[in-house]
Amino acid sequence: MSWVKSVQYSGEDVFDEDADDINLQDKEWKFNMQKRVKDGYVDGIDHGKEASLQLGFNMGYREGAARTTAVGRLKGIISAIQCWCQLQRPDNPTPASVADLLQRVIKHEHSIMEAIRTTFENPIPTASNVSETMEDLSVREEENCCGDGGCSKDSACCKKDCDKEISPMLMQKPNLSTALPIDPVTIPGENVDQLVQCCMDLVYELGLPQELIQHLHQLKSA
Amino acid sequence: MTRNSEDLFDCILMADDRFHVEGYREGFDEGTRQGMTDGRKHGALHGAKLSMEVSFYYGFGITWKCLLQNNTDAKARKRLKALESLIGLIQKFPHEDPQFETLQEDMEKVRAKFRQVCSLLNVPTDFSDYVKSGGSGGMSF
Repeated sequence: MSWVKSVQYSGEDVFDEDADDINLQDKEWKFNMQKRVKDGYVDGIDHGKEASLQLGFNMGYREGAARTTAVGRLKGIISAIQCWCQLQRPDNPTPASVADLLQRVIKHEHSIMEAIRTTFENPIPTASNVSETMEDLSVREEENCCGDGGCSKDSACCKKDCDKEISPMLMQKPNLSTALPIDPVTIPGENVDQLVQCCMDLVYELGLPQELIQHLHQLKSA
Repeated sequence: MTRNSEDLFDCILMADDRFHVEGYREGFDEGTRQGMTDGRKHGALHGAKLSMEVSFYYGFGITWKCLLQNNTDAKARKRLKALESLIGLIQKFPHEDPQFETLQEDMEKVRAKFRQVCSLLNVPTDFSDYVKSGGSGGMSF
């Protein structure tokens, strides 16, 4: 039986008549293994999506919500002032300045939504091109960390940020968090601060309660 | 002989697994990337819309409260009570948390309260697009 062993272990096709068979088996093996890789890939995509969709949704949700709070509130304040003017002075037309400011706020609101739509349409950059962009632009970080800009994406303080935002499941890809733009949404036209200032002027002009000024102050970006 | 063929069999199974895992890892990374992108896009729009709506009600409420607070007649007191209730609802409503359990129900309560406030103030409710739009869809996949 020793020859059997030698055949098995050497792996060489010592008998010529078997050569075709072995080639065929080899091809079949390769085909099967390629299929295994493909099947794995498809399963992986499904599971990866499943695992990250809600996470991405939550992350985007908070980002989106944070961007519209001030403008929404400002619109509410001016709408209320407009209604109040109409009810208090039914004979006089609403001051043009109120209607005008409301239109400007609504326009700004649309710009913000449009900016969010276009910004998030673009896929999250891959890890490698993020690190390139970070170097190219010497991206400024949040004020609580890396304020001097001299910190690489690997440093401990940025990792801490990743921990906060990304669940442990994604820790194998910590760059996903650095891929999140800090404030990429540039909105054309006026900014909220200007509109808030106009609203403050209006409150003085119409002789409305001072308390409103405090509420408006809260809307100004720190 | 038996031991050897077992090893060989194990070897085949392991290879089978190994190739599957190899593909799986690559697919998982790609799927994660796609999921994050898609989820984030939808989340950002939902979050922006809902936050804008709630913030609008809040701004509307606090302003009317400021405008009416020095009036002492019964009508004004009734209006102020409704306004305070609206402001209170919004303040304890974590609208920035998409997975908050009763987000949709609470949002409906806020909308209903806003409609009530508008009617007490003699303000036509339909001046705002929000009230007409109703529910803004699910908060999760």
